[in-house]
Amino acid sequence: MEYVFSPDNWEWLWTENNARFLLEGFLINIQIAVIAIVIALAIGLVLALLSLATVTPVRLLAKGWVDLFRNLPLIFLILYLALSLPESIKQGWEENAPGFLPEVLRGQLVLAGIMGLVLYNSAVLAEIMRAGILSLDRGQREAATALGLSYRNQMRHVILPQGLRRMVPATVSQLITLNKDTTLVSIIAIQEVVRSGRVLSQTAGNPFVGGGDVQAPILQVMLFIGLLFVITNYALSRLSRRLEVRESRRTATVRPVTVAGVEDQAIPTTR
Amino acid sequence: MIEVLTEHVDDFASGLWVTTRLVLASLVIALVLGTVVAALRVTPSRWLQRLGALYVEVFRNLPLLVLLFISFAGLRRAGIGIGPWTAGIASLGLYTSAYVAEALRSGVFAVSRGQVEASLSLGFTQAQTLRQIVLPQAFRTVIGPLGSITIAMVKNSAIVGASLLALPDLLKQARVVNSNTFQTTESFFWAAVGYMLLTVAATVLFRALESRYAVRR
Repeated sequence: MEYVFSPDNWEWLWTENNARFLLEGFLINIQIAVIAIVIALAIGLVLALLSLATVTPVRLLAKGWVDLFRNLPLIFLILYLALSLPESIKQGWEENAPGFLPEVLRGQLVLAGIMGLVLYNSAVLAEIMRAGILSLDRGQREAATALGLSYRNQMRHVILPQGLRRMVPATVSQLITLNKDTTLVSIIAIQEVVRSGRVLSQTAGNPFVGGGDVQAPILQVMLFIGLLFVITNYALSRLSRRLEVRESRRTATVRPVTVAGVEDQAIPTTR
Repeated sequence: MIEVLTEHVDDFASGLWVTTRLVLASLVIALVLGTVVAALRVTPSRWLQRLGALYVEVFRNLPLLVLLFISFAGLRRAGIGIGPWTAGIASLGLYTSAYVAEALRSGVFAVSRGQVEASLSLGFTQAQTLRQIVLPQAFRTVIGPLGSITIAMVKNSAIVGASLLALPDLLKQARVVNSNTFQTTESFFWAAVGYMLLTVAATVLFRALESRYAVRR
């Protein structure tokens, strides 16, 4: 305890631009999370619709795809993609990545990281959306059919607005998980906050690297990084709970959508 | 395809065994700690409730990778060197215990208040009500979520092996086989089969538990 809180071991935080260095790394995590969630939501919706299709081969294929990618460890997918993506694609990304992205995100392996995050999260989100749509009363669909709405219009005006609203809390939970999972790309050498933290703890106070003369012990560095995540994700989880409460007041449903195989398993409370 | 498996079956088998032990040991820790924390959150004491809530928020919102760095490299630097196994099991166990605590707590709240009121009015004490009326019913509702948590844990165990820890788990063995054979897809395919075996085993086990303890109405 004495070691953990000793001011000497925290001096690095306010020396030079160390704190800024870590915060910039953390910003990369947030950016990766936002990019991945946007793409994953779009692909997830398509997968959810396909896995509810009436054409059997399409449905089975979509379900198989979803089950495959949500049951594999995410780090497994990221490592596999990093090792197996063809050089041409990796180089193509490095040369043609959109200019508005920060330099770190234009590196060769970034594509593998983001693809892994998207493959995994789109499968999980597809399952959440599917559960959300299936949780609707079947009368909704029957009424829409009876009113003569086409499949497209049923989905657009009746099923999706209600089904997707129900899955908003589950999606925010998944966003929290995704936010934590962005640290995994440090394993394929992308310079996000965990990687920055390791670099900092190795270079600060090292005369050969020229990182000043104040050491940055890895325990304190990682505690600081952990705090960044706890604060951000706590704020997100408050938001999720708020939305859940609002939704249950609006529609008088007490049953949030839950999905098997992910950690965050809210059980419907009947109070 | 099959040669990669037959020639390196020992590597894959030992990796699968390491992953299995890692998951089982962490599961025990997660269940024990999770139960303690869930108990804190349903006690009448405000301060204990807050302590439990703080625990859950910290370990649920902290990336597992950061937890691993704290418990292995961080503690080592602080002079408390613990081995990779201890650090891995402790990290995965602590991380998962927050989810277990949440599942158990919701399970307790899912038991209708009327049950508690009826039990108290029949003269059961608070402790008896919790032990004989609430917990048995809560347990039934959380079997499903605990199964999901276990499956997530199998997947998260790969993070332990992939970070700096010297734990030759299934994913690490796939990387070893890959660097020896250069057959990336084949090496990872067989590791994927290994992970599927574990998740399917967990699914079957928890389904069986669920139907065994299902409420028959």
